Amino acid sequence: MSEGAARATTDLDPVAARAVTEYLFEQGWTDGLPAVPATDDAVAEFLAHTSRDEDEIIARLPQLGREATVRDAATAAVMAGCRPEYLPVVLAVWDALALERSAQGGGWQSTSGPAPFVIVNGPIRHRLGINSTGGVLGPGFRPNATIPRAVGLTVRNSFGVVPHALEQATQGIPGRWTMLIGEDEEHSPWEPLSVDGGLAPGQDGVTAMLVRTSEFVDNRHFHAPEEVLRDFADTIARSGSWLFRHSAVALVMNPDHARIFTEAGMSKQDVREWLVAHAGRTEEHLAAVGKSLGHLPEGPFPPDHVHPVFADATPASLPIVVAGSRNAAMSMVVRVFSTWSGTAVPVETATM
Amino acid sequence: MGVGIIDPTRSGATPAASRASDAPRPDSLHGLRVGLLENGKRNAAAVLDAVGAELSGRHGAEQLVPRTKHQFAMPLPDELVEELTGICDVVVIGVGDCGSCSASAVADGIRLENIGLPTAVICTDAFAQTSAAMAELQGDPEHPYLLTEHPIANLGAGSIAARAGDLADRVARRLTTARAAEVA
Repeated sequence: MSEGAARATTDLDPVAARAVTEYLFEQGWTDGLPAVPATDDAVAEFLAHTSRDEDEIIARLPQLGREATVRDAATAAVMAGCRPEYLPVVLAVWDALALERSAQGGGWQSTSGPAPFVIVNGPIRHRLGINSTGGVLGPGFRPNATIPRAVGLTVRNSFGVVPHALEQATQGIPGRWTMLIGEDEEHSPWEPLSVDGGLAPGQDGVTAMLVRTSEFVDNRHFHAPEEVLRDFADTIARSGSWLFRHSAVALVMNPDHARIFTEAGMSKQDVREWLVAHAGRTEEHLAAVGKSLGHLPEGPFPPDHVHPVFADATPASLPIVVAGSRNAAMSMVVRVFSTWSGTAVPVETATM
Repeated sequence: MGVGIIDPTRSGATPAASRASDAPRPDSLHGLRVGLLENGKRNAAAVLDAVGAELSGRHGAEQLVPRTKHQFAMPLPDELVEELTGICDVVVIGVGDCGSCSASAVADGIRLENIGLPTAVICTDAFAQTSAAMAELQGDPEHPYLLTEHPIANLGAGSIAARAGDLADRVARRLTTARAAEVA
């Protein structure tokens, strides 16, 4: 331990810190994990990283008559363990969520218990140390873990959506408030997700959608790109996740999977169109699990009629983001709750 | 303890709702126009239609006015509130059988009561917690929403009729009985 670190440690008061931690639990202000106490000074330090008015309403839940200001979002960011310079990303996540019909509707209260899935593009990934490579959906990286947690604390404390009361998740999903990834633009052969979402290449951007869960596709011994595509399509079309006529699915694609598609001459849109054309289940299959779509206006359907998963081949229906290590060719199918707006939002450039 | 630590629930919270109260009740449903406000959830319209049929057949309701709330999680649109106020004497609301729509049904009921329209709100018993939380949020913690057994989404026609038979009496009682007397 360096001399400076040793001196700093002796200045800290671990007994007081534990008492404060317990106090925050007792108040019901945390998500079940320890939180950092927010003080006026700490919040001011965070607010110094944005030019936005601290009283600006940044999040609304009209059915509960609840609102959160920039200052409230900063308070949540302090409590979540963010660093002050993360605040512009936290605010951008709320800007992005404001475009999501599911988050404006009943998403936070839903039995599905959906998570905000946040994808960050642009140089800000490096400035903040956002992980986009190995273990991208896992633990170990402060901005990945704390920025979405700040969203969760705003839902809890500003919206008052608390489990077993206004929050009615049936089983919830693992990692509800920790799903933030960077796109590994450096190892992606394609344009970043933020460009699909309307931003300029190289611009700092945030994409957010509500999602239900993630399912891995471990396909590391492939011989041809079609094998991997078929494997994706099978997981995407799994009947258990079938709820409505169509659904949207995000693919967190391994760089090695992206590589073989590119080597086969496929653009990201080519991959998307292949999957949209091939991901589906027959009426017979859906009927066998009690999910016949025969009640639709076009129904009833013959048993061999194939119902496509996707409504169309747009990035909004099937967003594709490249991330993770290429040490084993695994990708992740992420179930979008309802829809994604298809729009990425810019992150305010640091003012300090 | 706590000095200097920001209460994160405080600044975002809107002012506490004023104390809500029930609309005056009619003596009976005879000759009344009964709104059936279904929320688009599976079987909701079928349950309310069946309840409405019982209210006509056994309780003397004159006219049934079926309406749909298209965004089940959201507050009622002002136009729909205005319409219901104009063409209904009482309104049956339901069926709250999801995380957001159950809470929202209770909020709708309290809103209509506050402007003078008697309501009966039906939620399934799996959502008692969130119905209660919304009632408290809206300033009416004792709001007597009616609970019916969960689930309703997969009931067949026969079961819906049976369920409606049981519900209709409770709905009629809620619509025609003042709160204090109802508890007694």
